[in-house]
Amino acid sequence: MTSPAAHVDPEARFLLAAGGGDRHAFEQLMATTGPQLWRTIRRLTGSPETAEEVFQETCLAAWRGAPGWSGQGSARSWLFGIARNQSARSWRRRKGEPTHPESLDVLGELAGWGQDPEQAAAAAEDRHTLLTALATLSPNDREVIARCDLEGLSAPEAGELLQLTANATRVRLHRARLRLMAVLRQGGTHGVS
Amino acid sequence: MAFREVGGLRCDQVLEALDRYVDGRLTDEELSMVQAHVRGCDNCRRFGGAYARVVSALRVPANTPMDEPMPDGLLRRALSGLAGGE
Repeated sequence: MTSPAAHVDPEARFLLAAGGGDRHAFEQLMATTGPQLWRTIRRLTGSPETAEEVFQETCLAAWRGAPGWSGQGSARSWLFGIARNQSARSWRRRKGEPTHPESLDVLGELAGWGQDPEQAAAAAEDRHTLLTALATLSPNDREVIARCDLEGLSAPEAGELLQLTANATRVRLHRARLRLMAVLRQGGTHGVS
Repeated sequence: MAFREVGGLRCDQVLEALDRYVDGRLTDEELSMVQAHVRGCDNCRRFGGAYARVVSALRVPANTPMDEPMPDGLLRRALSGLAGGE
């Protein structure tokens, strides 16, 4: 049975057809979603070169996974979820497997609490240094800062894109900002990916 | 972190509330307590100021590299890669 979404959402029709092996439909899906997909991947990755790799990996993973799409939810959300997974895998290949999340107190100390927090603030005032530091963060940290602070989305708005509750988005944002301060305090590069 | 209790809050509680403070989401009572703590705690006053400056710097309107358009030919290259990956 065709999902209700396919009746009103052309992208869902393209994805369902692609799942049946329709290459042309898949190309139309990618042509429609490509520019916004690229912008999302660019926010998740640290460099244009990495973003291009992740874009291509996302395209391949989506083509292979299309037969498994249930038709529930939007095709775009499904596709962007694949992009997030591919971005995270790319980052782990470069940085190694993630360690246990630090406590807020540890993040505060790394960001300079009790020592020299002004270093991070001074570094942030140089736009190039700030963006270079941002590029070193994990995809999740990078994206939440991009959506909330660079683009000015509210926590509920950003949460919808990140597939998080508003509260979870705020928590992630606070921790991401502290990690950014830690990188800025240490010179702003911290090993750019 | 060497916590101190000042103005009814510990330093770790102020750290936890910093994002709400900068984003203007504290209640009047919470705001009063955070301000009282910060007046009496040099570490939190300095850190809170630095945190606010970093957030302000992020919020300065400017084009970022992440706004660059999709590179020419990227979609074509990605789709051509499907032939070898099916």
